[in-house]
Amino acid sequence: MSLEYTVTYSAKNTYENSVFKAFWQFCIIPEDNGTQQLVHWNFENSLNVFNGLSINGLGFKVIRVHPEVSFKTISFKAKFKVIKQEINPFNFEVDQDIAKGYKSILEIAFKTEHEPFLRKTRFTKLPLKNTSLFSFDKTKSIFDNLIELNTWTFEYIDFKAGVTDVDTTLDTIILKKNGVCQDFSHLFCAIARENHVPTRYVSGYLHQGNGYFGDSQMHAWVEAFVPDVGWIGFDPTNNLLVNENHLKVAHGKDYSDCPPIKGVVYSNGWNETEHSVEVQASQQQ
Amino acid sequence: MAINTDANHQIFSSYLKKEGLFDEVFDTNGKVKSIYTKLFDLYGEHSVEDYVHLNGKAKASFFNQGITFQVYGEKEAKEKIFPFDLFPRIIDATEWETIETGSIQRSKALNCFLWDVYHDKKIIKDKVVPLELLSSSSNYLHQMVGVDPPNGIYNHVSGIDIIKHSDGKYYVLEDNIRCPSGVSYVICNRTALKRALFGVFNHYQAHTVTNYAENLLKVLESVKPHGVDIPTCVVITPGMFNSAYYEHSYLAKAMGVELVEGRDLFVENDFVYMKTINGPKKVDVIYRRIDDLFMDPMEFNPNSTLGLPGLFAAYKKGNVCIANALGTGVADDKAIYTYMPEIIKYYLGEDPILSNVHTYHCSRPDELNYVLENVDKLVVKPVDEAGGYGISIGNKLTKKEIEVVKKQVKENPRKYVAQPILSLSVHPTYIEQKDSFEQRHIDLRTFTLLGKDKEFVLKGGLTRVALQEGNLIVNSSQGGGSKDTWVLKK
Repeated sequence: MSLEYTVTYSAKNTYENSVFKAFWQFCIIPEDNGTQQLVHWNFENSLNVFNGLSINGLGFKVIRVHPEVSFKTISFKAKFKVIKQEINPFNFEVDQDIAKGYKSILEIAFKTEHEPFLRKTRFTKLPLKNTSLFSFDKTKSIFDNLIELNTWTFEYIDFKAGVTDVDTTLDTIILKKNGVCQDFSHLFCAIARENHVPTRYVSGYLHQGNGYFGDSQMHAWVEAFVPDVGWIGFDPTNNLLVNENHLKVAHGKDYSDCPPIKGVVYSNGWNETEHSVEVQASQQQ
Repeated sequence: MAINTDANHQIFSSYLKKEGLFDEVFDTNGKVKSIYTKLFDLYGEHSVEDYVHLNGKAKASFFNQGITFQVYGEKEAKEKIFPFDLFPRIIDATEWETIETGSIQRSKALNCFLWDVYHDKKIIKDKVVPLELLSSSSNYLHQMVGVDPPNGIYNHVSGIDIIKHSDGKYYVLEDNIRCPSGVSYVICNRTALKRALFGVFNHYQAHTVTNYAENLLKVLESVKPHGVDIPTCVVITPGMFNSAYYEHSYLAKAMGVELVEGRDLFVENDFVYMKTINGPKKVDVIYRRIDDLFMDPMEFNPNSTLGLPGLFAAYKKGNVCIANALGTGVADDKAIYTYMPEIIKYYLGEDPILSNVHTYHCSRPDELNYVLENVDKLVVKPVDEAGGYGISIGNKLTKKEIEVVKKQVKENPRKYVAQPILSLSVHPTYIEQKDSFEQRHIDLRTFTLLGKDKEFVLKGGLTRVALQEGNLIVNSSQGGGSKDTWVLKK
C-alpha cells in the first residue's frame, strides 16, 4: 500500500525599500528515489516572473526566480504531490560480525569514498572538550550504536523553537541543550562522524499527523552509512527511524549545503521572511 | 666580508658583492659572467646621470601604460607604480629548457591530480597522498566531484614560482593554479625597457614575450564546450578595485575579447549570456579572475555580488568552460606541494625535472616538533594564503615574534608548512635612493598554459625583486619590484 502526500510550501519576503533585482534559488522539490515518487508539482510567485528549473552543484533539483522589476514584497507558493511507499525501517539485515563492521569503516578506500560525510564542518564540529559526549560501544553493532545515539540526542536536547537560528553551532547547542530539528541533526552527525561513521544532513518535509516534533517549516534529519546495508535514515528530533512520513528533498554535509532558499537581493534596509509548510496525507490503493 | 667587483664602469663602481650569495651576473671572483658581458659593457657606457634619466623614462612609460597595482591592508589603499628595474635578467637556452620542460611536467601532473581527486581518488586509495590533505582542505569543492571540465583541463594557466639557490640549481617554491597574476608585467617590462634602451636588443637574440595573449586565446578556444564552432571568450574581473585589475583589462584587450563583471552576464536555461547593445550574446569560455567561492552566490558564498548567479549549473552541464576550473585550489595548497615529486611520479611515471624545496609539514607530529624547535632557522608559511601574506622568516624574527609564530603553529598545525631559509640568487638592481646598483634577491614566475593538445610556456616569465636589502619576499604586494627577463634563443 502507498500513501499520497500533498506538500504546500509558501514563503513571503518583505523589504523596507524597493528591490530592483534579485536572485533566489529554492531547494524544496522532493526527490525521486526508491521510496518516493514525485508525481506532480507547481511553483508560482506573486510577481508572475519566470521560474527556471536547474540542478545545483550537489545534484539536486532547484527552482530559480530572477525578477528584474521593482517590488517591495514577493510571495512564493509551491505544491508537490508525492507517492510514498510504506516503509518498514527495520527491513534489512545487519551483519552479525560486529568487529568486521568497525574494521571496514577504517579502511582507506571507505574513508576516501565517504570523505564529504566524515568532514568536520562548521556545523558538525564538536568543541574539543566535548568530543567524547557519546562514545560508541564496540561490543554492539554500528547500527545499534546509531539507534542509541538517536535516543541519546533526542533526550539531550529539548525541542524549543526560537532559541537557536540557522547560524548556531554545536558549542551553543551543547551549552543550552535547546534547539530545533536542524540542531538535533547536526549533533547526531557530529558524534557519528567523530566515531568514523559517515552521516548526511537531510532536509525534507515531515508529515506531523502522528504528533511528531517539528514546526510548520521544513524538517531535517540524518542518514548514516551502515556498512553492508547502506544509508539509513534517523530522525533524532523524534527518536525514530525515518519512515513514510519523511519526504526527502536533499542532503549535504550540513545545513549550509541544502538550505531551502538562497538569495541575492539588491536592496538595503530591513527585510522579513515568513514561510510555512503544510503536509497532508491520504491513503492510496 | 664584502668584496668589490673589478668593475671599471661608473654605475657599477660601488657594487658590493657579498660572500655566500649566488650572484647571477658576477662569478665568485667578481668577474662578469660571459652571458652578461655585452650587456654589462652597454650599461657601463652610461654615466650615473644618464642612468637616472633613463630610469625616469622607464617609470614614465609605466605611468603612461597605466600599470599600477594596489597593496591591500595599508591604511590608505593607494595605486602605486609597479617598481621596475632597468637592468634585465638573462637566462640562457639550456637553462631555460630545464625550466620549460619542468614547468610543463608540473602543470600536467597537477592536472592529473585534479582529475583524480574529483573522480576516483586513486592516489589517496593507493596511499601516496594522505586523505587528510583532502578532507581538511577548504579549497576542495564537493560540487566539482564527477564534473568533467571541457577537454579534461583544470589548470589552463599555471604560475610556477622558481628560485635559483646558492648551489646554482633551480627549485620550485610553489605552484599557483587559481588566478596567477603578473603576466601583464612581463610584457610591460619589455615595452618599458625597449622605450628606455632600445639599442640593447640588437646585441642579444631574446625570445619575444608579446605572444602570450594569442597563446592564451588559443588555449581558451581549444577548451570550448562541445558543439560550439567559434567560441565567444570573455575575461571576468571582480572590478577596478582588485589589485590585478590592470592585468585583467590588459589580457582582455590583448586577446580582443570583452572584459566583463558578473553584472554584465546572466544565466538563462543554464546557458551564459553577455548583455550587449545588440542583445544577448552566448558566452562559451570564461577566463575568470575571481576566486572560486565568489563565482556563483547560488552555489558558494551567498553574499557574493561579484560573480554570476547560476553559473555553476551552466558549467556543470558543460554549456560553458571556466578557466581555470573551480576547485583547483586543492592542488596548489602548499601542503600538497610537499607531495609534488610523488605526484609527478604517480601520474607521469617520470622523475621531477625541477626540484622541490624540502618542506616540513606541521600536521606530522615529529616534523611539527622540529619546526617548533627551529622556528628561527625556518621559513614558516600558511598553506592557503597568497601574495606573501602570513610568511615569517626565522632569522628576521625577534624572540617575542618567534613565540607568536610557535603559538600559531601549535594551534593549527595543518595550516602551516616550513622550509629551510633558502638563499635566493641575487641580481644587480638599481636602488633609487642610493643612485647605485646593489645586490637584491630575485625569483622567477613562469606562466604555463595547458589546452587541448596544446602546451605553452611563456619564454620570459616575471623576475621579481625584493627591493629591501636582505629581504627574501619578492611579492609586489610586499613592496617587491621586477625586471625584464630575457630568454635567449639557441
